[in-house]
Amino acid sequence: MARRAVILAGGQCKWGVREAHLVDLFQEAAKACFDDIPTLKPKDVDGLIVATSYAGRCSFQVNTAPVIAERLGLKPTSICTRCDTLCAGGSTGIIFAKGLVEAGIADIVMVAGGEKLYTPQKWEVFYSELASVDHDWDGAQGMGLPPPLFALTAKAHMKYYGTKKEDFAAVSVTNYNYAVDNPVAQMQKALTLEEAMNAPEVVPPLTLYDCCPITDGAAACIITTDEIARKFTDRPLVYIRGTAQVCLNSVTANFPGEHLADWVHLRIAAEKAYKAAKVAPSDIKVAQTHDCFSISEVIEVEELGFCKKGEGGAFCSSGQIKIGGKVPINTDGGLLACGHPFGGTGIRQAIEIMKQLQGRARHQVKDADIGLTHNLSGANAEHTILIYGREPVK
Amino acid sequence: MAILGIPILENLYPVTMDMWPVQAKEFNRNWQFYENLKQGRFTTTKCKDCGKVAYPPRVICPECYSENLEYIDLPTKGKVISFSEEVRGVPLGFEAPLIHAVIDLGVEPVRRLLTRIINCPAGYLKEGDEVQLAVFPVPPHPIEKGKQGTVMVERVFFAFEPVKKP
Repeated sequence: MARRAVILAGGQCKWGVREAHLVDLFQEAAKACFDDIPTLKPKDVDGLIVATSYAGRCSFQVNTAPVIAERLGLKPTSICTRCDTLCAGGSTGIIFAKGLVEAGIADIVMVAGGEKLYTPQKWEVFYSELASVDHDWDGAQGMGLPPPLFALTAKAHMKYYGTKKEDFAAVSVTNYNYAVDNPVAQMQKALTLEEAMNAPEVVPPLTLYDCCPITDGAAACIITTDEIARKFTDRPLVYIRGTAQVCLNSVTANFPGEHLADWVHLRIAAEKAYKAAKVAPSDIKVAQTHDCFSISEVIEVEELGFCKKGEGGAFCSSGQIKIGGKVPINTDGGLLACGHPFGGTGIRQAIEIMKQLQGRARHQVKDADIGLTHNLSGANAEHTILIYGREPVK
Repeated sequence: MAILGIPILENLYPVTMDMWPVQAKEFNRNWQFYENLKQGRFTTTKCKDCGKVAYPPRVICPECYSENLEYIDLPTKGKVISFSEEVRGVPLGFEAPLIHAVIDLGVEPVRRLLTRIINCPAGYLKEGDEVQLAVFPVPPHPIEKGKQGTVMVERVFFAFEPVKKP
């Protein structure tokens, strides 16, 4: 019988401004992960994939996988490595793990991701952001982690599709309010539309609550096969049905869309992931899309096929992303409220979708059987999608 | 110059903390782009075999993988398609308002170049405005050159500025 990858368990530490070292955060996340599956022990894990991008800059640590493996008491025999896809690192690790367990190269893989971004002096993380984009061409233009790029993207969406500031604010309000009762989220604040509309400017039209915060944190999950998973759990199995990762450019001058609000690379990724998972956009009952900025989620619901191109603003502000709406999105608070420790984000998203599909999410979507996670990374340079389901692809 | 907390780095140059490109011949095969900039020219590489013009410049053609490339001039004037003014969270080394614009230089592959706009106060720039190349010096850095000792390398970088002065 074919080996089919599932996500067995997962957990994250408290995200936010943490008085902790990078390796502390990974230990806390691994503990939360094993707490989620008490039958599984560290000795059962034969593979480790670590997703972190800023360890080299903010913790003076490269080759992080052996460092983390040792701190977690893991002794991998199949794979022990790191991946760096910035904001999509965690999701990338899960794609790698799926391939490895389905190929029979590994049996039980922990994918752990996280970042320690708050340095003893705050200037350093902002300065290091110049390494997150193409350093010589976009970094040297002061792009950093790109609020300016997404402000330009928001302006383009307003110009071409008539989207309003209220639509962006609706995304922030929805996602913040999902996280009010999420104890591991960075922000647990009930946000009103009025507050979101009157927040301080960052890069107009983006204001404070349109932008995800800088975050310390880590998350970990276990990827294995359905047959092995059955030995450890009676919970419903959550299969990784299909994946895609698309990169068409890095330097912003080569952005592939007609304009900045036209995300052709995401459309290509969506088409490929839906095909691999043998599902249609209308089958997605719950999603985690990459709300690094509120405008991102507005465009993502369009390019993922949840609504027509140009109608993302109305889709979000009319409550279609809330519980009871067409596709509830970022039901744990998303990047905007949970925070965004780059390598940890894809794993947090996977954990929320796993819980939704197992019927044990905090804000449960009724009868959720197919879920999707999405990341964009870099200067909108890459799009990554995973589709999960209660049933394997047949 | 001492670095707080790390006295061992006194008078040393950490390239890993340099916000500007390392553009010396010894470290960058596309050094000529920066030499051209010093003469006020905005250039990139064109493939002599298949004709592909790529930006930024390369050492191989991304289309046919030929190494037979030449530098060609790109326009140094263009029009603002859209712009943003960053007032918060500006990276160290840049000052608020940090203005970015997508500009059209009129030829591929620079019909939508995202660049910084300098010599321009907040609230001045408008869509459709004409902008031109602005080259400025950035701090030189040392290179260890064996018997010659340590040599300082002069550097430049570029942004665009309004043609019509504020």
